[in-house]
Amino acid sequence: MSKKTAFSGLFLLAVCAAFVFRVVRLDIRPMHHDEANQAVKFGGLLERGEYTYDPVEHHGPTLYYSSLPFAWVSTGNSFAALDERTLRFVPALFGVGIILLLLLFKDGFSRSAIVVSGIFVAVSPLMVFYSRFYIQETLLVFFLLGVIAASWRYHVSRSWGWAAATGVFIGLMYATKETCNISFGALFMGLLLARIFTREPINGKPPIGHALVFFGSAFVVAFLLFSSFFQNPRGIVDSILSFQNYLGKAGEAGFHSYPWPYYLKMLTFSRYGTGPIWSEVFIPVLAIVGCVAAFHPRRPKGSSSLFMRFIFFFALLATAVYSLIPYKTPWNMLPFFIGIILLAGNGAAFLLDRSKNLAAWILILLVLCTGIFHLGYQSHSANFKFQADSRNPYVYAHTSSDFLNLVRRVEDVSRFHPDQKDMLIKVITHPDEAWPLPWYLRGFTRVGYWQEAAMAGVVEDVPVVISSIDITEEMQTKLMETHQGEFFGLRPEVLLAVHIRKDLWEIFLENRR
Amino acid sequence: MLKRMFKILMVLPLLFLLVLDTGMALQNDNQEKVVLELKLPKPMFVGTPRNIRSANLERITGKKRGPFYVPPGTELLSLNKPVTGSDTAPVIGELEFVTDGEKSGEEGYFVELGPMVQWVQVDLEDAYSLHAILIWHYHSQARVYRDVIVQVSEDPDFITGVKTIFNNDHDNSAGLGIGKDKEYIEVNEGRLIDPRGVKARYLRLFSRGNTSNEMNHYVEVEVYGKPVNE
Repeated sequence: MSKKTAFSGLFLLAVCAAFVFRVVRLDIRPMHHDEANQAVKFGGLLERGEYTYDPVEHHGPTLYYSSLPFAWVSTGNSFAALDERTLRFVPALFGVGIILLLLLFKDGFSRSAIVVSGIFVAVSPLMVFYSRFYIQETLLVFFLLGVIAASWRYHVSRSWGWAAATGVFIGLMYATKETCNISFGALFMGLLLARIFTREPINGKPPIGHALVFFGSAFVVAFLLFSSFFQNPRGIVDSILSFQNYLGKAGEAGFHSYPWPYYLKMLTFSRYGTGPIWSEVFIPVLAIVGCVAAFHPRRPKGSSSLFMRFIFFFALLATAVYSLIPYKTPWNMLPFFIGIILLAGNGAAFLLDRSKNLAAWILILLVLCTGIFHLGYQSHSANFKFQADSRNPYVYAHTSSDFLNLVRRVEDVSRFHPDQKDMLIKVITHPDEAWPLPWYLRGFTRVGYWQEAAMAGVVEDVPVVISSIDITEEMQTKLMETHQGEFFGLRPEVLLAVHIRKDLWEIFLENRR
Repeated sequence: MLKRMFKILMVLPLLFLLVLDTGMALQNDNQEKVVLELKLPKPMFVGTPRNIRSANLERITGKKRGPFYVPPGTELLSLNKPVTGSDTAPVIGELEFVTDGEKSGEEGYFVELGPMVQWVQVDLEDAYSLHAILIWHYHSQARVYRDVIVQVSEDPDFITGVKTIFNNDHDNSAGLGIGKDKEYIEVNEGRLIDPRGVKARYLRLFSRGNTSNEMNHYVEVEVYGKPVNE
C-alpha cells in the first residue's frame, strides 16, 4: 500500500467519523435558548419568505438561507412540522465540510499535517458539540477555512477563479456573524507578519483585475444576503451599523464576562462538581510543536514556510483577541481553535517527519492514536451522555432535559381539550425564561407571551398557564382553586411552573389510568 | 267576551310576528358576528441567558420557616441510625450519609441514587411516636424533587401497617396513589413534615428524579420523636 493510498484512506476515515459524530441522534439534546431563537427566526423565512436582517440580535442570514433547502426537502414550507434534526443537520454538514476544505491546503501543509488536522477536527469535543448546535459558529469556521484555503490556492495558482472564491468566502463570513471582523483582522495581520518573517519567493504580483474580482464577489455575496435578495436593501447598511452594537456587547459583557484565561482553561482542564475531567490539552500541546515546526529550517516535505507561519500568526492573534474580549461564550472558541487544530496537525506531522528511526515513529504514532482516542471518547461523552448536563464545559446555560417533560405534559393534556392544538396557552415569564418555549409550542396556534401577570388578563379559565418562579406565588393565589400546578426545570437554577385547569387535568388523569 | 277574544286574536299574530322578528334578528346577529381572533403577544427575542453552575440559596424563598412546636422531651432519633435503599450501589456517596448529621449542600455530603422511583429507609431501631421529619434532598441548587412520598411502618418490609404521611405525587407516576401535598423547591432549611405523633419504627422516603436531572439525592433525613410509652 502506497503512502498516498494510506493517507487517502485515513482522510476518508476522518470524514466518515466526523459525519457519524455529527449527524447521529441530533435530537438527543433539548434546544438551547439561542437555537430556538434562530429556529423561530428561520420559521418566518420558511413559511412567509420573510427575512430582515436584525442588527441587534440573531447575527447574519447565511444560517437561515442554508437551512431552506433542507427544510423544503424535509417538511416543505411548514414550520410546525420542522424538527431539530433537520435544523441541526445544517451546521453538522458544514462541520464535515471543514475537513474537506483541508484538501485545498495542499502545498501549504504536508499530506500528514492535512490528515492529522482532519482527524482532530473530526473528533474534537468542542468542534463536534457545536457542529450539532443550530447557531452560526460552525458556518463561520467553514467560511473562514474557505477563505484560508481559497486564498492559498490563489497564492499558488494566481487564477481569477480562486480570487473570486476567496471573495465569495469573505462575503459569506461577513454575512454569517459580526465577530468575523476579529478573524478578518487576525487573517490580515497573520498574512502581513508571515510575509515579514518569511523569505519565500512570491509567484508574481496579483493583477489589479483579480483584486476587483475579489472585492466584487465579496460585496455581491454580502449584499445579496443582507438585502434578503433585494427585498431589504437597507440590510447592508444595517450590517455596518451593527458593529456599534457588537462592540458595546464585547466591552460590557454583563453576565457573560469572564477573565482572559477562561477559554484556555476550558480547553486544557475542566471539572464541575462530581462530573468527569474534560481536557483537549492534547491539541494545544501539539500546537506548540506546530509553532516550532513553522519556524524550523527543515520543514516537512510538501509544506510551505509562508503558509505554516501564516497559520501560526493567525492562531496566535485570534486566540489573543478572543481571550482579551470580556464577552465570552464557549462557542466563540471555534474560530481560533480551528487555528490551534491546524497548528497541532502540523506539529504532529513535524514529529512524524523528524523521527529518526522506526521505533520513534511507532512511539509517536501510538501517542497520537491514544490522544485521538481520548478526544473521541470525550466527544462521545459530551454529545451522547452529558449532552445537556452542566458538568459538561460546553453546555452553557442549556435547557434541562426536564424541560421536555413540560412540553410533553402540555401536548398530552391538549389531546383532551376540545380545541386540541388551538387550546389557549398563556406564558407569563421574563423573556429569557420564555425560550425555547416558542420553538417547542410552535404547533399550537394560540400561545401568548407576557412578562407580567397583570398584562396577561384573566387566567382563571385558561387551560394551561406557564409561569416563571418569581410570579408563581401570585399565580398560585389566583389559580389555587382552579388549576393543578407542577414544576419543571428550564435550566440549572431556573424553574417554570405549569398550571393546568383542573377539569382538563382530571380528564387527562382519567384517560391515563 | 267577544271583544276580549278579538283582542287576543289581534295580539297573537302580533306576538308571533314579534317572536319571528326577534328570532330572525338574533340569527342575523349571529350571521354578522365573527370569530374573535385573539391577538396574542409574541415572544421577545433576547440574547444568550446567564450560565449558572454555582449554588444560590437565597433566591427562592428569602423567608425563614416559622417556629414548629413539638411535645416536650422530643429528641432527634435518626442520627447514625441504619439506612437501606432501593439502590444498593449508589452512583455517588453512601447510604449512611442520610443519617450522618451532615447537612452541607457542598459536594461530598449527598448520596445519589439512580433514576426512576427510588427509596431510602431509616430504621429507628425501636418504635417511637414521631413529631417532626426534616428532609434535605439537594439544596445547593433550586430544584424540585418529583413524587416525594414518606411512609412509616413498624414492618421493615412495608407490607402491613403502612401509613403515608406525605405524598406530592399528583399524577400517580410513582404508583403509590395520588397525593394531595404540593411540590416544593429545595432550600437549605429542608422540608419539614408533621407526622402528628404517628407511631413507627421504620420510615421509607420515595422520590422520582428532579427538575435538573433524573437522579435521586439525599443530603440528610432527620426524624424527631419520643418513646411510645412517654
